[in-house]
Amino acid sequence: MSKISAPRSNREFIEACVKAGDAVRIKQEVDWENEAGAIVRRACELGAAAPFMEKIKDYPGFSYFGAPLSTYRRMAISLGMDPASSLPEIGKEYLKRTNSEPIAPVLVDRKDAPCKENILLGADVDLCKLPVPLVHDGDGGRYVGTWHAVVTKHPVRGDVNWGMYRQMMFDGRTMSGAVFPFSDLGKQLSEYYLPRGLSCPFATAIGLSPLAAMAACAPSPIPEPELVGMLSGEPARLVKCETNDLEVPADAEIIIEGEICPDYKVEEGPFGEYTGYRTSPRDFRVTFRVNCITYRNNATMTISNMGVPQDEGQLLRSFSLGLELEKLLRSQGIPITGVYMHPRSTHHMMIVGVKPTYAGIAQQIAQLAFGSKLGPWFHMVMVVDDQTDIYNWDEVYHAFCTRCHPANGIHIYKNTTGTPLYPYATPHERKYSIGSKVLFDCLWPVDWDKTNDVPTTVSFKNVYPQDIQDRVLANWTAYGYPQTK
Amino acid sequence: MNQWEVFVMDMSELAEGKDLALSIRTLNPGHHKYTYKHVRCQVSSNLDQHPDRLQVRMGRGQLSAAKFSIKVIEEIQRMPAKYA
Ligand SMILES: Cc1cc2nc3c(=O)[nH]c(=O)nc-3n(C[C@H](O)[C@H](O)[C@H](O)COP(=O)(O)O)c2cc1C
Ligand SMILES: [Mn+2]
Repeated sequence: MSKISAPRSNREFIEACVKAGDAVRIKQEVDWENEAGAIVRRACELGAAAPFMEKIKDYPGFSYFGAPLSTYRRMAISLGMDPASSLPEIGKEYLKRTNSEPIAPVLVDRKDAPCKENILLGADVDLCKLPVPLVHDGDGGRYVGTWHAVVTKHPVRGDVNWGMYRQMMFDGRTMSGAVFPFSDLGKQLSEYYLPRGLSCPFATAIGLSPLAAMAACAPSPIPEPELVGMLSGEPARLVKCETNDLEVPADAEIIIEGEICPDYKVEEGPFGEYTGYRTSPRDFRVTFRVNCITYRNNATMTISNMGVPQDEGQLLRSFSLGLELEKLLRSQGIPITGVYMHPRSTHHMMIVGVKPTYAGIAQQIAQLAFGSKLGPWFHMVMVVDDQTDIYNWDEVYHAFCTRCHPANGIHIYKNTTGTPLYPYATPHERKYSIGSKVLFDCLWPVDWDKTNDVPTTVSFKNVYPQDIQDRVLANWTAYGYPQTK
Repeated sequence: MNQWEVFVMDMSELAEGKDLALSIRTLNPGHHKYTYKHVRCQVSSNLDQHPDRLQVRMGRGQLSAAKFSIKVIEEIQRMPAKYA
């Protein structure tokens, strides 16, 4: 395998982004209350460079890095690729690396772990000592975790999970978070800790290397510490926590250690969400009690600001959800050409291209996708044939509007798993995470006669003999048209 | 005078002249701005009634035009003692 040279820490990533013109250093003081959030939001909406805010009001010595992976250029940089790489190229690389051999993490000594440079214990523990931002005006609180990993371990099976689950500061020692019951952490809690009334040790790592963050929000079955190794081509460097036996990325900027309370809940939300709305109601959610904070000198807090497209919630999640679904469908031998989720769909629509070689193939795809671990995160599947470019929305939209039979091609699945975040869902559905799904089958039915029943696509490429096409192309400028590609 | 803020789904949650249990967050400037306390308190739409001020946000963060005065009677500890 050729050597991968991806940024190994948030600091290396910022440097690489600045060098490529994909991050700006903001020297003037920025307020943690709304101003930083507003800068990140505007950068996302413009597709602009990521803001590296070096001076924060009330918090000398700390900085912010916002919108880390909200453009494909920064995604390419995070993978150590040419920033100009196309989306299909980036996708191909992600598939190659995540299909390679797992690379186990290594444990380093605490003296080699920058995240241990400052340690707050006991009465010194206070989240307000960190520049926790008010990301959007009107949010239910200042959010500690918007671009981070919550590290936990299954006490019996021992498997480690890193997941990006938002965390709000309730008070200086308490956070509450949206850990959905179908997530890996949600299942750990409901399977083991909650029925036994035991508190679950956790560690939140903030300011991760971009690939560690990518792993924490990728719905992959591979344990995240190994997934980071595969993505970056070298073992992740971990270090033991101070107050529990979890292991955290040694190069992270900030680590928050503590326990998840099985018998105590505080309010969380509302918060700006990946759909582009504040949808999920304020509720009593999973509650984290903080026992220790460690951080690097001059620590940088990372901020993702979710709202209307496009931010990491749409761009990165559409990318990794789409590719993980592609792996799932290929693992079942389905003759797909690819899977694409357009970021503007806020990863709600999965577009699949397939060679329609047998009946019911679109339903097979939809049932696998909706029935998978990833299913709760999207509610529309659109299946087009292998002649349609899934990345070209104009082509997909044309196929949808012409081939999808209103009575036969639209299949609705009711009472599926949902989330409280779906803007279209009724208040009742949001409260109980009840979903529903729809398949748009845009394939010609296999029982139509190919010659007489299936319509012929009328296009320059499809209806004219090759010699005519060649002649028209050769004479195009002679006819008086400007040259086209 | 302290400034506080509360989230409600419905204004009826802020009945006047009764002891209420509310999670309120401080709007006083400084490092601890926006941190919560769970308190027993009384509120009034008469701004001169109680020593502190309370502003109100609705379920999705919308700021209400209504303004209240508030008296914090005591902090209520909901958290089990073992986490203290
Ligand atoms: C910025 C950002 C915020 C997220 N917040 C949450 C959240 O609050 N709760 C949640 O369950 N998933 C959230 N997700 C999605 C999870 O990170 C994602 O589902 C991940 O795969 C969870 O890991 P798991 O599959 O190990 O549970 C978020 C993703 C991103 C990019
Ligand atoms: Mn996981």
